[in-house]
Amino acid sequence: MFSTNVWTWIAALLTLAIFSFLYRDNPFYRFAEHLFVGISAGYGVIIYWYNNMVPNLINPLLNFGHAWPHVSKVWLDGLVIIPGLLGLLFFFMFSKKYSYLILLPLSVILGMENGLSVPTYLQAEVIKQAQGTLQGIHTPFIAGQTFFMVNGLIVLVGVIGTLSYFFFSREHKGVLGVSSKVGIWFIMLGFGASFGYTVMARLSLLIGRVQFLLTDWIHLIK
Amino acid sequence: MDRRIPLTIVLVLGILMLLQFFIPSRASETFFTDIFVRWGLLLYIFALIPSVGSLIRHHWRKVGARREGWAYSIVTLIGLFVMILVGFLDREHVLAKVKAAGLFRTLFLNVQVPMQASMFGILAFYMASASYRAFRARTLEATLLLVAAFIVMFGVIPFGAYVWDKIPFISEWLLEVPNMAAKRGIRFGVGLGIAATSLKIILGIERSWMGGGGK
Amino acid sequence: MIWLLKLFKIDRRILFLLIAAAVIIPLVRPLGLPTAVTPHAQHLFDAVDRIPPRTKPVLLSMDYGPNVMPELQPMSMAVVRHCLARKIPIIVMTLDPNGVGLAEDALHRAALEYPDVKEGVDYALAGFKVGGYLVMISIGQDFQTTFPTDAAGHPSKEVPILTNIKNYDDIALVITIAGSAIVENWIVFAVTRYHATLCAGITAVSSADYYPFLQTGQLTGLLAGMKGGAEYEQLLANNDLSHAPKRASQGMDAISSAHILIIIFIILGNIGYFLGRRKKA
Repeated sequence: MFSTNVWTWIAALLTLAIFSFLYRDNPFYRFAEHLFVGISAGYGVIIYWYNNMVPNLINPLLNFGHAWPHVSKVWLDGLVIIPGLLGLLFFFMFSKKYSYLILLPLSVILGMENGLSVPTYLQAEVIKQAQGTLQGIHTPFIAGQTFFMVNGLIVLVGVIGTLSYFFFSREHKGVLGVSSKVGIWFIMLGFGASFGYTVMARLSLLIGRVQFLLTDWIHLIK
Repeated sequence: MDRRIPLTIVLVLGILMLLQFFIPSRASETFFTDIFVRWGLLLYIFALIPSVGSLIRHHWRKVGARREGWAYSIVTLIGLFVMILVGFLDREHVLAKVKAAGLFRTLFLNVQVPMQASMFGILAFYMASASYRAFRARTLEATLLLVAAFIVMFGVIPFGAYVWDKIPFISEWLLEVPNMAAKRGIRFGVGLGIAATSLKIILGIERSWMGGGGK
Repeated sequence: MIWLLKLFKIDRRILFLLIAAAVIIPLVRPLGLPTAVTPHAQHLFDAVDRIPPRTKPVLLSMDYGPNVMPELQPMSMAVVRHCLARKIPIIVMTLDPNGVGLAEDALHRAALEYPDVKEGVDYALAGFKVGGYLVMISIGQDFQTTFPTDAAGHPSKEVPILTNIKNYDDIALVITIAGSAIVENWIVFAVTRYHATLCAGITAVSSADYYPFLQTGQLTGLLAGMKGGAEYEQLLANNDLSHAPKRASQGMDAISSAHILIIIFIILGNIGYFLGRRKKA
């Protein structure tokens, strides 16, 4: 009935150690928790090394070194030394005197990230969504689909209501008060839907572990 | 270091990346891909250093000072170094990937996965307990939230269709119309907020990322 | 109704036991209720199914770790099985370092079920790349620079399935299975900038947030949580593409009973609350 694989037993015992926290905090749980932190950090280091550092930094530099001095075709490989050296500045965060040096690689990352974000987020989350709201009314109207057109109008009312609820530069009175009230109703319906899904999400995570215990460890289900 | 140096880097790179989106020329694309994107990817690799370094430093100091729970810190450090050692010694299996299951992947699947999955699995119990104790229909808004939650909870399970065959349709309508309207309104805010914050960082108005570093 | 008020103060560990029972009993004694397939899951299935065999590959990005594995791993397995059964080339990558082990496991299990598939030809593990949005941009600019080797260290130019991939134009469909807001990044960078066709499998917690993108067409299909996995497994079975154990579908019975229990908890809690208020008044 029970598995004879030692690794399955280790997995099952660690699972039960974590679950033991439901009764109360105890040394088995704390042991498992600390072991998890160490193992996952170590796993991350190896994955970063073999999947990123070696193919994207070390191999190009070796390539450049092997091609030296005929480097015209691989000069871009040699240039990766620049971000490599810049990245090493992250080690200075452990120095009290020179910790400000990490601002250099950070500023490169932030400059790139924010510059790339502005046009793309505006396009994807503002322009495209506004387009979708109006098309939700226009397209079914043209096709004579009354039900979908009414849905589109409800969406338009909901979007305007939600936006007006989050507009805090004016007091919510008069027309703004009414639309923000409508907005909060839509927001509550949205959050209720999210909560309904969240219940399923949390239960799924528990079911996954129970499936492992009952299938792989105890062989009670197939 | 003068604070103007990192601020200038952010300004120049930010504007370059912003403008590049609108410049389809081959030279711009090559410069963008072969230099900036490639370099950016490399910088992100090094961003692991602060997190792992801080972890080692915290637990090392805890063991050294014999603070409460220091024995558990030894467990953390042993786990970390054993995993790194196995990863480097078992290189052949780490790289062989799909077909071979060496010690490295075995440790991942039978030690890390069960613990990480279980930590999130226990949330189901706390969610159930919180639902019983805290979820109250005190106001109209809370009642709307509750009703929507019930409809979706019934709609996703097969049993819901047995109770009333219209429940899955109503649940889907709730998700596609009022839920979508609210989430879209929130998305507008998110998109505008990200664009505004990004511009503030590029222009140097927002400087919290610098902490207290530099002169 | 004093007993109802006392029920309100019940030890939470009893509630935990009730939840455990609601989960365990249907798993041991399944009800076998069928899962209805939603239109969005059908769209995702159709998007994969209409790709001609042995042409452009599917890029599956398994952007999650073990913390949400029970919800998302069945989806990933189902997509991999679909591609291998239909001989659609599939490249698996991940933007989460913990996703590598899960991707290896998924491909390893699926490859055993389809012994005639070949690594490097029918499927490949491209591995993990750090950088999130930057990886998405990098794929759109030059896939070979992003993944100079596969996860096993073989140069991409020597791996048949990877060698002809320059950017998203050479990829039939991008599917991201994610446990975080990374789906938003895929939409913003891959779809908006490079016009990639994107489908997503998301944890149930976040899936309600992505309906706006379904309506605008920025997302072609969506699988939500364990139910999404169950729907895809159902579609595979209906189309005779896989006869593997349906883990997500097994879990739906347990979800049904647990949902009903939680609804009862909420109703009882509210009755207790209103009775308590009346008693005070």
